Amino acid sequence: MQTQRRKSVGAQTYRRVASEQEIARGQTLCVDVDGREILLCHTAQGFFAVDNLCTHASARLCEGKLKGHRILCPLHGAAFDVRDGSALTRPASIAVATYPVRVDDEGVALLIEVTEDGVFHR
Amino acid sequence: MSSKKRQQPGQARARGPSVSDTLISDRQSPPPPLLESHYEFLGDEDISFDRYTSEAFFQREMELMWPRTWQWACREEHVPDVGDTYVYDIGPYSIIVVRSADETIEAFLNSCTHRGTRLLAGEGSGYSPSFTCPFHGWSWKLDGSIRDIPARWDFPHVCHETHDLQRVSCERWGGFVFVNIDIDAKPLLDYLDVLPEHFKHFPLDRRRIKLHVQKILPANWKAAQEAFMEAYHNFETHDSPNGGNTQYDIFGKYVSRFIHNIVNYSPQSLDDYPGDKWRQPPMSEDDQLAFLGAYGLEYGSVPEGETARAIVADTLRGHLGETLGIDFSEVSESLMLDSIEYHLFPNMFFFPGINIPMVYRFRPNGDDVDSSIFDLLIMEPLAEGVDHPEPPDPVQLDVEQSYTEVEGISWLGPVYDEDTGNLALQTQGFKTSRKPGLTLGNYQEARIRRVHLTLDEFLSNADTKA
Repeated sequence: MQTQRRKSVGAQTYRRVASEQEIARGQTLCVDVDGREILLCHTAQGFFAVDNLCTHASARLCEGKLKGHRILCPLHGAAFDVRDGSALTRPASIAVATYPVRVDDEGVALLIEVTEDGVFHR
Repeated sequence: MSSKKRQQPGQARARGPSVSDTLISDRQSPPPPLLESHYEFLGDEDISFDRYTSEAFFQREMELMWPRTWQWACREEHVPDVGDTYVYDIGPYSIIVVRSADETIEAFLNSCTHRGTRLLAGEGSGYSPSFTCPFHGWSWKLDGSIRDIPARWDFPHVCHETHDLQRVSCERWGGFVFVNIDIDAKPLLDYLDVLPEHFKHFPLDRRRIKLHVQKILPANWKAAQEAFMEAYHNFETHDSPNGGNTQYDIFGKYVSRFIHNIVNYSPQSLDDYPGDKWRQPPMSEDDQLAFLGAYGLEYGSVPEGETARAIVADTLRGHLGETLGIDFSEVSESLMLDSIEYHLFPNMFFFPGINIPMVYRFRPNGDDVDSSIFDLLIMEPLAEGVDHPEPPDPVQLDVEQSYTEVEGISWLGPVYDEDTGNLALQTQGFKTSRKPGLTLGNYQEARIRRVHLTLDEFLSNADTKA
């Protein structure tokens, strides 16, 4: 099945979603951005952000665990690479969406893009 | 006629100072186990090449040896929190190690008790608050007991006794989690022989994985590990003068050891090697100090009355002590420098040394008789009071890749390339040879024979328990 890319209705923009101190290295934080759950992951290589729902059976990845650069789904143990979203193990085979992250004095911000149906993605 | 007394097979040794001579003359006394010597002659018959190349022999190992022997699956720090898992695959078998409670680590076969599906697809570390089969959604608690069965009404014939996850023996030693598919296996401590006593002096639980490299090798798992069981190859494979006088010990059916002195060179140990290399002229003490260069450290010359071995050990005590935050001032030269390698049947190696602090594991690569997986761990000592950090994920190398591609492997990269570089050639040679088997030295290669003898016990006796 082919997924249609939704039409963008605005410029991409960074939105602050957390302070750096809220997420210790090795930890994650689930944030709600306009009704969409996004998981911030603080790895040894920095901050990354992925959709919070597993692409296999929609379990919430925030109830799993971050190990190194892998986020592990709590339901069937599927692993995703938080750096590029790629599915590393079955039963997941579809990548999880990722969002560019910027960390500065004002905190952790995500690059989001609003589409015509209100759902955003990078 | 020679005036030498006729020696029994296995009694002959290289000339020059023995390892014990060197350890006794070191400034810092080594721990007592390093002064022990336990060799026994185990025979001198050739070892058939079939044992490395035959599918039938490989299948017998899979049926009669691998499911009945202890193997380490992971480190305790791979599963620090409740729900942390580690999947260990060996041939067709897959095992889930899980921390099911704060102080409890258990292991189960990675297979659904409904229609057999593998539960966790990935290998290595993971996390599961419970286990759910991806096929029909049967689920189990971390202790392996059934949690949920969708459409429970259709399975009146299913109960805990028959359909909890299939348990695997699981015990811990030295920070390693060991598993044995045989649920009636004898206790791990009985299997470890001298290891618990010896390693009281060099505890492995206070080590952390600094680097983990997992490489596919183009040889049967036994040929691959046998490339690491003797230092006889050092002269030719590594172009190295050290190794001729290495000490080899057999401690029982399951445990053997070598102690290979580093920075202890004697031209006599190479007495009957071809050519004059390292004999005429012999290496000077200054030449041997160059070992420090290999470790990336500066060096000058050896003062009168000193030895290169003492200076290199002292330099490493200072350098590694500062780097790791550990006082090595009273640690023996042998532990600081030497390659001290304990082997545990069938496929595990533990090095208690400080500068050579490795752990190896060799296993079949799936069902391929001609290739294997080599796990190389560099286990750095951990300072007192420091918590175990999260272990690094393994760096994976394919057959054609070089160890020098691994970040942080330093001087060891080319050494492991040399060690593993002979294996494809050896596998080819096994298959082209008219001579039906390989020949072993009575002393220097006795550890290899010990492994084959123990393997034969498993293959010939379905009741053997490990």
